[in-house]
Amino acid sequence: MGTLMKEFVKGIIITNPVFILALGLCPALAISTSLDNALGMTGGVFMVLLGSNIIISLIRKAVPNIVRIPTFIVIIATFVTIVTLVFHAYLPDLYESLGIFLPLIVVNCIILCRAEAFASKNPILASIADALGITVGFMLALLMISFLRQMLGTGSLSIFGVHLFTLPVLGENPMIIFILPPGAFLVIALLLALFRRMGVMKGE
Amino acid sequence: MKVDTLKGVFPVIFITLIVFVAVMLLSVVDGYTREQIEYQEEQKRLGMLTEMFPDMSEYDFEDDIYIIYADGAKIGYAFLAVGRGYGGTITILVGLENETTIKGIAVVSQSETPGLGARITESSFVDEFAGLNISEVAVKRDGGQIDALTGATISSRAVADAVRTTAMEKIKSLEEGE
Repeated sequence: MGTLMKEFVKGIIITNPVFILALGLCPALAISTSLDNALGMTGGVFMVLLGSNIIISLIRKAVPNIVRIPTFIVIIATFVTIVTLVFHAYLPDLYESLGIFLPLIVVNCIILCRAEAFASKNPILASIADALGITVGFMLALLMISFLRQMLGTGSLSIFGVHLFTLPVLGENPMIIFILPPGAFLVIALLLALFRRMGVMKGE
Repeated sequence: MKVDTLKGVFPVIFITLIVFVAVMLLSVVDGYTREQIEYQEEQKRLGMLTEMFPDMSEYDFEDDIYIIYADGAKIGYAFLAVGRGYGGTITILVGLENETTIKGIAVVSQSETPGLGARITESSFVDEFAGLNISEVAVKRDGGQIDALTGATISSRAVADAVRTTAMEKIKSLEEGE
């Protein structure tokens, strides 16, 4: 049980996908414009990562080494398509707001990285713990980035259509650059620098 | 020798098997969700029309124009307009309450910059169109009645121009049809 807990916790800080592994930066840059998108994206990534980690861990001993990457990609693409269809059918609003980034989970390197580096070498329970930890780490990173970008870039904060607050000066004149792509780079760079300063990266 | 051949072929058989299972699985999921997805698309269209015409009881779809009825009486038209925005095409559902006046508009799909051009979907912008005469639909800079969004003149203008030109075309085709 202790080791499972360790696999879970390490995904949050020690191998945080965005800040430490520096993986999945493309969706992290692109969709972190609002808290809603951050949470929706996390949901999609979670389902795909959990599914692919479980299946790959189950078949890990049967997969011939030379075709392991194509095998992982087929498995990941299958889960992404299932998630896309299910979201479209039962969660139309979320499907609309994520748009193209939902099918693009297939090329999110976090998922292939966990398949290759973890699930293909570890038993099923550890792989589930790993998927959960990485998802939480991904979610926290996305929430941090999108919190700053949405707040600075639009001057107000809202989540699932509920308005939280409007900043006094920025509400009138928001710093639009934070909503635009350069803002994503700025925010991620500053957060990375902060993490490094705090010494989190020397964790292991 | 024989064992070696088998070893060489096994990866091919394995990946074929994986793809086969994946295809089977996907066709099952597709079978389960297809009807629901079509239903959602239909609901979305219906939802947009009823939001625009709360009194609607039924509609006809002819020549790309929705004709809206309330208890048998014609109360308006709706159709799709396509504009070219800053980030790609913008599709807008336009409602007319008669041959000259806009009932309302709704953005069906867009890929404008989030936080800037994408604000064309917000009610503060969309509501500006309601009740305008078709000829007044243009951003103020172009001599119309629409306040362009700050920092998103191209997106605002794309919507206004698409609504105006498409509405004029549709009205013309309706008049010719009668």
